Amino acid sequence: MSKVIPMAEAARLVAPGSTLGLGGMTLYRRPVAFVRALLDIGVTDLTLISLTCGFESDLLVGAGQVRRLRTCYFGLEAFGLAPMFTQRATAGEVEVIEETEASLAFGLRATLAGVGFLPSLAWLGTDLPRVRPDVKTVQDPYSGRAYTAFPALSVDVMVIHAPVADHAGNAQVYGNLALDRELGLAADRVIITAERVVDRLSGPLELAGVGVHYVVEVPDGAWPTSCYPDYPLDGNELLDYVEACGSGQFDAYLERFLARPAGETRVARRGDLAEGKD
Amino acid sequence: MVIATDYTTDDLICVCISRQVEDGELLAQGIATPLVAAGYLLAQRTHAPRVAFASAIGNALCQEGAPLGLARAEDLWLGRALTLISFADAACDMIPTMHPKEFFRPAQVDAYGNYNNVVIGDHQHPRLRLPGCGGIADVTAFHSRAYLYVPRHSRAVFVEEVDFVSGLGVPSPLRPGDQPGPRLLISDLGIFDYASGRMRLRSHHPGVTLEKIQKKTGFALEPAADAHQTPPPTVEEVRLLRNEIDPLGIRELERMGGGQRRRRMREIIRLEQAG
Repeated sequence: MSKVIPMAEAARLVAPGSTLGLGGMTLYRRPVAFVRALLDIGVTDLTLISLTCGFESDLLVGAGQVRRLRTCYFGLEAFGLAPMFTQRATAGEVEVIEETEASLAFGLRATLAGVGFLPSLAWLGTDLPRVRPDVKTVQDPYSGRAYTAFPALSVDVMVIHAPVADHAGNAQVYGNLALDRELGLAADRVIITAERVVDRLSGPLELAGVGVHYVVEVPDGAWPTSCYPDYPLDGNELLDYVEACGSGQFDAYLERFLARPAGETRVARRGDLAEGKD
Repeated sequence: MVIATDYTTDDLICVCISRQVEDGELLAQGIATPLVAAGYLLAQRTHAPRVAFASAIGNALCQEGAPLGLARAEDLWLGRALTLISFADAACDMIPTMHPKEFFRPAQVDAYGNYNNVVIGDHQHPRLRLPGCGGIADVTAFHSRAYLYVPRHSRAVFVEEVDFVSGLGVPSPLRPGDQPGPRLLISDLGIFDYASGRMRLRSHHPGVTLEKIQKKTGFALEPAADAHQTPPPTVEEVRLLRNEIDPLGIRELERMGGGQRRRRMREIIRLEQAG
């Protein structure tokens, strides 16, 4: 029994107001094609949860489809600030739930451990607790020491892009695991989008299909972010995006982005470079 | 060892970072910090051959350095990965007790070394929302091997009072406690520490006066009693940086603004694709 479904069907699994987890990290292995499908259907009021948010999240924020964010970093690394996040968050148009690596990691592990929270040394003495009054402290029952008590996190749908998956939802990723495993295990439903879907992968693999519900085949599914080892990130596209937003042209950029036919690509694969293709 | 006369401020910053690295230690490499990456790699090629890197790019542990890359940054680290580490593994199992040395780049920092990477202005009504503090707030209360670096020393960065404390400085009336605070701060003008309880100048870079540093700092700054000139790089250090560690000059991006930076990035991307 194959878990493969079409992209449009997968996108409709994300209900308005739900919490959507995005796999990968900053500019690496982001589920951009899936985000494109969400932009096409215009589902709104989303809470995004990701270790770090980048280009894919900025598109959704710019399109007005995001109500709130849980992430420890929202930016484009060397390519600068994420322009639409910076604009909307500065204007107070999107709610930022301040997270850090520890609050996300311990929170997800609490969910996976079946407990309400996990204690950590993080945040003590900083201003983080001031903007997160929902996060409490707890006393070590043995030593009396105070810890931050990171609450368990819930995720409705998690989407991960992988270089290869099989019909059972097993997938191989080759790096930048970020929080893919933990978000995937914690989520109610998990979608793997993959450059290619094969009959059967053999292990050991990074992601086991046991926890995966749906698979979508989409070549160039991470473009313009990278998908190691298949293709690097498309720096020129990211620069085009930043420059478009910088001159108030996000809407025009989005229109062009969505108008690009599915499957048309500007991904420069390793072989293409050697053969002198674009 | 021949002292260089032909070197840039970026080269000097990398060398200052390199000098802080001890052989055999674990170095945490964050995202978008090429000056630090170059400094670490320089240390490995010179006095610290046995360091290991915990790289946020790739989520990998590496013992071999890779030349700096932009579009190919991930390939270079992952090609040398000893083991892949999920961020949960790193955040829960390694960072709280292993304390890898790390250099952070603050958006704002005060006289005690309290620093901000979250928001300029009020958190609810910001003047400018920043990307977020990543993992800084997770370790700052206890991490004694945290360093700061500021590629462009200015009054916008060195402020009387930061708008949000995501990183703790040394104990002060503002933030009492037993946090260790940053060990050193390296900027494009000099090197500073907090040993006296407040930021003080340890060394000024060649050609930079105390007056200039004070003018670019938004609070009163004292020099240490033994303040001196930062020793310049050696010819070999500059050669390694330019020819082997960072031939594309990615370390120069940190001190460029907006349009100049993007133009240079397009050039670097073109060179990366051609090479």
